[in-house]
Amino acid sequence: MRFDTIEYFVQEVFRSLKRNNWMTFASIGTVAVSLFVLGVFLILVLNVNRMASMLESQVQISVYLQEDIKQVDRVGIGQDIEKMQGIESVKYVSRDEAKKRLAERLGDQKYLLDALGDKNPLPESYEVTVKSPDMVETAAAAISKMDGVEEAKYGQDVVQHLFDITRLMRIFGLALMVLLAGATLFIISNTIRLTVFARRREIAIMKYVGATDWFIRWPFMLEGIVMGFIGGIIAAVALRSFYAAMAAKIYDTLAFFPLMPQYPFMNYITVALLLAGMVIGAIGSTISLKRFLEV
Amino acid sequence: MIHMRNISKIYDDNGTIALDHVNIDIEKGEFVFLVGPSGAGKSTFIKMLLREELPSSGELIVNGHDVVHMVRHDVPYLRRGLGVVFQDYRLLPDKTVYENVAFAMQVIEAPRRLIQRSVNSVLDVVGLREKYRCFPSQLSGGEQQRVAIARAIVNSPALVIADEPTGNLDPDTSWDIMDIFQRINKSGTTIIMATHDKTIVDRMKKRVIAIEDGHVVRDEAKGVYGYAV
Ligand SMILES: Nc1ncnc2c1ncn2[C@@H]1O[C@H](COP(=O)(O)OP(=O)(O)O)[C@@H](O)[C@H]1O
Ligand SMILES: [Mg+2]
Repeated sequence: MRFDTIEYFVQEVFRSLKRNNWMTFASIGTVAVSLFVLGVFLILVLNVNRMASMLESQVQISVYLQEDIKQVDRVGIGQDIEKMQGIESVKYVSRDEAKKRLAERLGDQKYLLDALGDKNPLPESYEVTVKSPDMVETAAAAISKMDGVEEAKYGQDVVQHLFDITRLMRIFGLALMVLLAGATLFIISNTIRLTVFARRREIAIMKYVGATDWFIRWPFMLEGIVMGFIGGIIAAVALRSFYAAMAAKIYDTLAFFPLMPQYPFMNYITVALLLAGMVIGAIGSTISLKRFLEV
Repeated sequence: MIHMRNISKIYDDNGTIALDHVNIDIEKGEFVFLVGPSGAGKSTFIKMLLREELPSSGELIVNGHDVVHMVRHDVPYLRRGLGVVFQDYRLLPDKTVYENVAFAMQVIEAPRRLIQRSVNSVLDVVGLREKYRCFPSQLSGGEQQRVAIARAIVNSPALVIADEPTGNLDPDTSWDIMDIFQRINKSGTTIIMATHDKTIVDRMKKRVIAIEDGHVVRDEAKGVYGYAV
């Protein structure tokens, strides 16, 4: 492509962005809002996902033993578990140890335990960690069938919940994304259509003197891409401050919450939004050009 | 230059048979008038040369391009060898005379220096060198048509096609335009011109192809208009 041509394209783009300034404004605004909402969803999904996998990777199986178990059997169970595939470690927790831990967890409400006096209703148990999270379920099932094991529990509920939430968010987010992308495409292609209409005579002449379709198409594509890009920038800037504010708030109140660190995470999000904006802009202008270029 | 065999054109939308088995050959350097009543099919004939309309059947070779079997992608290259002039000039109102002409070179990505040279030279041919900075609204109809002609020939086409180029002009101005066409023709460019102008056709004594109802009814080497006005 010649330098003159590029210069010509750039001039054309700015001319028509200025000419349709209200529609341009509306288009950029729509792109920005849509991308912002998409970005919020992306951030939420990624964070909840991350939290879920962090919890999942910490998963331990608590193996509660039957109350009347003999010491030999107890040791045997521990050895059997250790011999299983994919087991990382096995740690014995005595009844005294269990009570001590419970007391610690109760903190101020330790008096509840005092009511028990010297009695200890807590069972002996093993704390089993597995090598990889996806083994938890099978391991727990196998252990719970062993003789002398009362039950084998793990944090399945919480993790399962989180994964359910992310799945829902993903589905919902996808639906929303389709909807917003549709709306954005619609408004961008309408803006470009105005430009096409304003320049229809020019386009007819270009075709008569033998300009290629791509030569005619480029300025419109660029116009769409520029609008998408500007919308993307606005969305990204807004999203970055939104995330920074949210992060600050969360660190203040819920310090343990495993939020994605701002960098480089938000840089990826920014790049994703800019790309999405440009792609939507290009597709939007392609849509509005398709019909009229078929001459 | 043009080879047309059994060309028919039926418009799909209303079933009009605009051309019916037309056979025409036009050689390089010829000057041809296309005459006939309104609705005869003259504009359709011209649109097929430009591949603005695709023939319904038949064979058509224009300037070495097989127009019927041409893929979309090649259409611009056919058109680069043709110059076209319309009754309504079709200039861009927000561009100057110079820019209107240069536009035809810009959009086929000609080098800038060549553009400057060619535009100045064709503005000389049509006698508008001094008015290069004017906008179309500042020109008379005849001058505007001269700009359109300059634009049509600036890429040195082998064939110039004009659809009633003098249709909006008074007789004197029309003669100025015909004078330009004749000079372009003398330099070797083939010219095909659809017209209603009896005086022009009769006085120029060029080849005349008469079309009526989609049929070629007459094709004479030094013909006359042949219709009552
Ligand atoms: N785009 C079109 N769609 C349908 N019919 C058309 C179209 N263009 C021309 N026609 C019809 O084809 C016939 C020839 O038209 P045209 O070639 O414009 O004639 P001329 O230029 O000689 O006046 C007319 O009957 C006209 O109504
Ligand atoms: Mg006509």
